[in-house]
Amino acid sequence: MIIGIDVGGTHADGVLLDGDTLVAKHKVSVAQQHLSDVIITLLQHLVPGDRSTLQRIHLSSTLCTNAIVTGALDPVGMLLQAGPGMNPDFFAKSCPTWFLDGAIDHRGQILRDPDPGKIDAAALAMRREGINSIGIVTKFSHRNNRHEQQVAAQLVGRFAHVSLGHRISGLPNFPRRVYSTWLNAALASQFSLFKNALEEGLAHLGITCPCHVLKADGGTIPFSRACEFPCESVHSGPSASVMGCLALAAQTDDAILLDIGGTTTDIALLVDGAPLLEPYGVNVAGRPTLIRALKTTSIGLGGDSRVAWHNGTFRIGPERQGTSMAEGGTAPTPTDAMVVLGKLAVGSQQQAAMAMLALCPKESPEYTATLLLESFVEHIRLAVEAMIEEVFARPVYTVAALLHRRRIQPKRIVAIGGPAAALQSFLGQALFLPCTVPANYEVANAIGAARARLTVQASLYADTGDGRLSIPELSCLETISSRYSMPDAEKRLKGAVSMMVAEMGMKSCPEIDFLERLEMNVVRGFATSGKILTLKAQIRPGLTTI
Amino acid sequence: MSSFMPHALHKTALILFPAFDWCISPNHPEREERLLYTRDQLIEEGLEDVENILFFNPELATFHDINRVHLSVPSAEKLLTESHLISAGGTLRAARAVMEKEAEKAFAIVRPPGHHAMQTVFGDRGFCVINIEAIMVEYIRRHYGVRKIAIVDTDCHHGDGTQDIFYNDPDTLFISLHQDGRTLYPGSGFLHESGGPAAEGYTINLPLPPNTCDEGFDMVMERVVMPILDEFEPELIINSAGQDNHYTDPITNMNFTAQGYARLNRLLNPDICVLEGGYSIEGALPYTNLGIILAMAGMDFSQVREPDYDPSRFTQPPEMTKYIEALCSKALGVFAGRGSRRAEAQQRRIVTNQKNIFYDTTGFHVQERTSYHLCPKCPGYSEIKATGHNRHIHAYTVPFNACRGCQGEAKDMFQKGKPESGTIIALQDRIEDIYETK
Repeated sequence: MIIGIDVGGTHADGVLLDGDTLVAKHKVSVAQQHLSDVIITLLQHLVPGDRSTLQRIHLSSTLCTNAIVTGALDPVGMLLQAGPGMNPDFFAKSCPTWFLDGAIDHRGQILRDPDPGKIDAAALAMRREGINSIGIVTKFSHRNNRHEQQVAAQLVGRFAHVSLGHRISGLPNFPRRVYSTWLNAALASQFSLFKNALEEGLAHLGITCPCHVLKADGGTIPFSRACEFPCESVHSGPSASVMGCLALAAQTDDAILLDIGGTTTDIALLVDGAPLLEPYGVNVAGRPTLIRALKTTSIGLGGDSRVAWHNGTFRIGPERQGTSMAEGGTAPTPTDAMVVLGKLAVGSQQQAAMAMLALCPKESPEYTATLLLESFVEHIRLAVEAMIEEVFARPVYTVAALLHRRRIQPKRIVAIGGPAAALQSFLGQALFLPCTVPANYEVANAIGAARARLTVQASLYADTGDGRLSIPELSCLETISSRYSMPDAEKRLKGAVSMMVAEMGMKSCPEIDFLERLEMNVVRGFATSGKILTLKAQIRPGLTTI
Repeated sequence: MSSFMPHALHKTALILFPAFDWCISPNHPEREERLLYTRDQLIEEGLEDVENILFFNPELATFHDINRVHLSVPSAEKLLTESHLISAGGTLRAARAVMEKEAEKAFAIVRPPGHHAMQTVFGDRGFCVINIEAIMVEYIRRHYGVRKIAIVDTDCHHGDGTQDIFYNDPDTLFISLHQDGRTLYPGSGFLHESGGPAAEGYTINLPLPPNTCDEGFDMVMERVVMPILDEFEPELIINSAGQDNHYTDPITNMNFTAQGYARLNRLLNPDICVLEGGYSIEGALPYTNLGIILAMAGMDFSQVREPDYDPSRFTQPPEMTKYIEALCSKALGVFAGRGSRRAEAQQRRIVTNQKNIFYDTTGFHVQERTSYHLCPKCPGYSEIKATGHNRHIHAYTVPFNACRGCQGEAKDMFQKGKPESGTIIALQDRIEDIYETK
């Protein structure tokens, strides 16, 4: 059996699953200072009498969000090697930053080593400022991690925590790598406190099974790995919701997933039944990162959004002003419209009607309510359309890819959240699609957390001309022969991913997808001098098979 | 996106399309690998996340867009692949971004290039089949009613195709900075090539000596290009941004740098840039392209330097500086004397030029005879007879700025033309936007 826990902003849900059967569920309200207490409380209610039947615990928590909001992040110092390019001064706005000299080029060739004297001077300055957690990032470290390793080796033992850029992600994009590394370093002590508190609680409950953390990409990683890469635990709420939708209403076609809440509606897209990912990563604390994440869009539109009638149209949200008038609030809300139409049974029918009259005194409440909900779903329709267009417009670099781009064509809507059922028919009509509102959707996030499986990704860059291969996620830098080929690369990367999976304690490795295969002849003079091979491998987000 | 990313002063659209699956031939400079390192550099820099820098995919140009500019033999459909339509479509997307104010500026980093493609097209010359800037210019005129456009060609090779297409158009100012044609393909681009009879002085060629450094480029920009642009007052400035003046380029002999390219673009302040040549794909293009983008976007480019950049290597000898100074004066003279012989030409009614065009990629010649039918009210229409590869074309082109009278006359001439086997008779009417053949 698996326990899934989703800690949200105001309450936390937990479920106990036996296969895909919901055995128990529990909800508690949340005091964010004591995240581990909340989780332990839920576990007390959910953990089966026979502890040995519990296989794993999957956690989706707001640890990172809380740390950012409450300012509990560690002070971080960044050591950056920016090489030639854009002026890197802007990084200093994020946190104290020291720039190193030396450079690595776009092919991963070392142009000049950094000056060790400068590194020492930066380290001293950081110690003086009381910094104990540092990040080291060089431009193109995904192609060659040697400088990051050199700097780390020189500073070994001098700081409590060191994060290296290439270990966080094998993708390009230096600023994102810098900010991901910063975030990882900034979360180090918070995560370790959380881990200690949680482990203590688990021991107290006699729970010995492995504990996994949900990531933004809809997958999980073991707690031990999350300690090394705490940044991976960010933004797990939306991914819990998406995975929950998948668990409750699996799809095989393109589909739209909606999580309609009190203040916001989160939109996600499925392509052939699989959730769509961000091309690089999620934004955290105003910074773009390389933390792999499901593509979700959040719009300020929910059941409790404040509604105003303005110039012949409804202005819905993005702010809310307490609850609906039906429930004693002071401003009309979409929830009031749902109550008026008899689609939702909360609060006072009469107050809800008053809310509609407050909006349009001359119309019948039913008429206004219908118009309001039509306008509500129209906002969702426009946001979905914009999202589909944005995905279609993602840059492609080959003629074949440009000519064969496919626009997402949703065949169904899956909606969860409080107002979902009340909006079902409106959504279906506005988007001309069948709309499903699955049962048990109130614990979708916890179910999503429980059913999510391990995800791993790794990338390979091989340059046969230089005889060098890099798999940044493993800090791997090896020599290869001039005859190294794409099948060799696939085998190597498959081995790397299988190893990562085994290290994370999983007995069997799910199917590995290869992505973005690119094989390019390097021609110098008029002869081929080698090949550049790039390849990515992933275990895509999915549900544990039962 | 956020205060943690830099901000572009000018909203700039990038159409970055390296066409990783297209080449002229595997070892050709115009091969798959050409923009690989540029793409890698631009992505690693994080330009996609810079506020006010937008990335767009190219669209496909239509054959209609091509036929508005070119006279293709046997036809555009037979000569072009999808890659050409995408490359031209990249420039159209750039134009649309600027004209519809999605961005203030746009840079089409696309391939294959186009500036050696002339009005008549029989195949590939100088890595170009269709002239992607010219297609963009006429597209802009057709769809957005822009009249006066300046094209500044900073590729190391003379932009002979662009020159040919706009040779008799006084509303298109064409300025080409390039390595002297006595030392480099295509062997043209001398001062005396200064425009057709109705547009004399609107083509300005600046043939620079081999090994010209940043100093020489700065000089022609400051002394010639900028003052002429100020006087011409174009509604749009386009930079044919070839990057083979770079000191590392394998097929040219100049000493221009990434800093130089960036400075040139900051000064020129073009609305649209279109990549042309540039074959130092590893040591130059990642840096020159980045420098140009940052300059267009109004961002700091001071740290864009080639790994092997050493300014002391590139000092221009004083005699070269003197030579370029003299060249600048002569070029200014060409522009100052613009239109001075127009009346004289007018009296001749028809002025005819002959030329021999060499298609280097597959190696054949085209004989071409252009007759400018002049008019006191407009630049007139042109009649083109070209023969190559045992195929013939006899075409009438009505420019966008022709008068009704000339338009009617060209149409009559076309209608009177008798179809013969092996000869295409064509009417290219840019006013009505039609292309007809028989």
